[in-house]
Amino acid sequence: MNRFVNDIKKFFNYSSYNVKAELKSEVAGSFLSWLWWILDPLLYMCVYAFVAGVIFGASSKPYFLVFVFIGLNCWQFFNRVVRNSVKLVSNKKSIVTKVYIPKYMFIFEKIGTNGFKMLVSFVITAVFMIYYQVPLSLNMLWVAPLLLMLGIVAFAFSSIIMHFGVFVEDLLNIVTVGLQLVFYLSGIFYDITDRLAAKHPTMCNILVYGNPVALIITDIRNTLLYNQEPHFLALGIWLVIALVISTIGIKIIYRYENSYVKII
Amino acid sequence: MAESAISVKDVKIQYRVMNKMSLLKAILNPKKFSKTEYFEAVKGISFEVEKGKILGIVGKNGSGKSTLLRAIAGIFCPDSGSIDLHGHSISLLSIGVGFQNALSGRENIFLSGMLLGFTKEQIEEKLDEIIEFSELGQFIDRPVKTYSSGMHSKLAFSITAILETEIMLIDEVLSVGDAKFKKKSYAKMKSLIDNKDRTVIIVSHSSETLKNLCDNILWIHDGEMKMLGTVDEVLPKYNEFMS
Repeated sequence: MNRFVNDIKKFFNYSSYNVKAELKSEVAGSFLSWLWWILDPLLYMCVYAFVAGVIFGASSKPYFLVFVFIGLNCWQFFNRVVRNSVKLVSNKKSIVTKVYIPKYMFIFEKIGTNGFKMLVSFVITAVFMIYYQVPLSLNMLWVAPLLLMLGIVAFAFSSIIMHFGVFVEDLLNIVTVGLQLVFYLSGIFYDITDRLAAKHPTMCNILVYGNPVALIITDIRNTLLYNQEPHFLALGIWLVIALVISTIGIKIIYRYENSYVKII
Repeated sequence: MAESAISVKDVKIQYRVMNKMSLLKAILNPKKFSKTEYFEAVKGISFEVEKGKILGIVGKNGSGKSTLLRAIAGIFCPDSGSIDLHGHSISLLSIGVGFQNALSGRENIFLSGMLLGFTKEQIEEKLDEIIEFSELGQFIDRPVKTYSSGMHSKLAFSITAILETEIMLIDEVLSVGDAKFKKKSYAKMKSLIDNKDRTVIIVSHSSETLKNLCDNILWIHDGEMKMLGTVDEVLPKYNEFMS
């Protein structure tokens, strides 16, 4: 634990500078520059709102566009962090073989860059909410700890996946398919409870409580749009699980990072 | 008694030998995937380097020289034993660490410098000197991806050479760029090494380079210390062994 805290202090400045550099680097060559951080989720929202609202007829949900937008923002963050973690160490070969940096710092950097983009999208969410006249409530304040929780969950899974990504060549294929499955099961463009609670209550509970991404997204929507409190107990349990997985991930990374240099 | 800058005591470094494999192979052969084999690259090496001295490390390929150098730089943790730098700052001289090609040369100076362990303020202090040494002029504010390979090397070398540390570790002496810059970079490297306050460890296969630059030579063979002594004591025996 001491080593972890000391390393975070030591490498925080570099990593935060690198987050800014990566964000700058991403938009440096593109014609629309940082506008893509806004356009990207907006365009996705249009696609999924059309598919879910028009084709599958789910648009009776209040504030449906904002509902889809929130889901997509959270999902894009989680998906990018976890997917990137598979090849993270080998992509940073030039750094890993020349200087020491705890390898989990790369995950924090990805959380930083994708977290920034998610926050930009949440500013647009606020604009949408004003436009649709979503009533203000104190429950909206829960969004900050819920987003933090999403970051912790993303770190937990990424730390384990990053480690195995060094050794298993085709892990990216498996993770991509797995994430696609989680995407459809997380109710990004539909409401799990509306669709399943009446017909399949057990399945509904498994999907909401057994999947931390679905739980967090559901709670962010409930607190921001529908003036409801989060599911404290389920979130608390998932927080403990995520912290345990993170601790295991950090320990594994510390234990094996000498070997990473040789393998990549 | 002279002040010690680097104390290496009974350092052992092992690698867990794990090969990359596909998921199918890992599932079909789980024993092979989970089986941990160890390879001992450094087998209990101890030595001291006094402040201001230059130590050369020699040995055939795969003898553990670069592994030891990386352990001293902190890239690896030794599995046992200790490496004490007595509070001195250290860097492994390697060029172009952490460059982002879409960013300007100026921004990359900060990025690479911070990765090498310097603060933003320390880099700001040396910024003009780095830019001047690199001879990049107006190009310093253009993206690194627009640089020729020579310009890239000039910038990378300048960052490493100007952001000096008290202990420098060098894996083969570097000289980069065109003929003129090559001469300039070698001269800079020599002046860095010759500085009486700086402690240097050089790994090289060139006996000529080591003879010109070093005070002492450590000969490593198959991860073990074969000999440690002055240049005149060790190099002739090493050359005889290798011939």
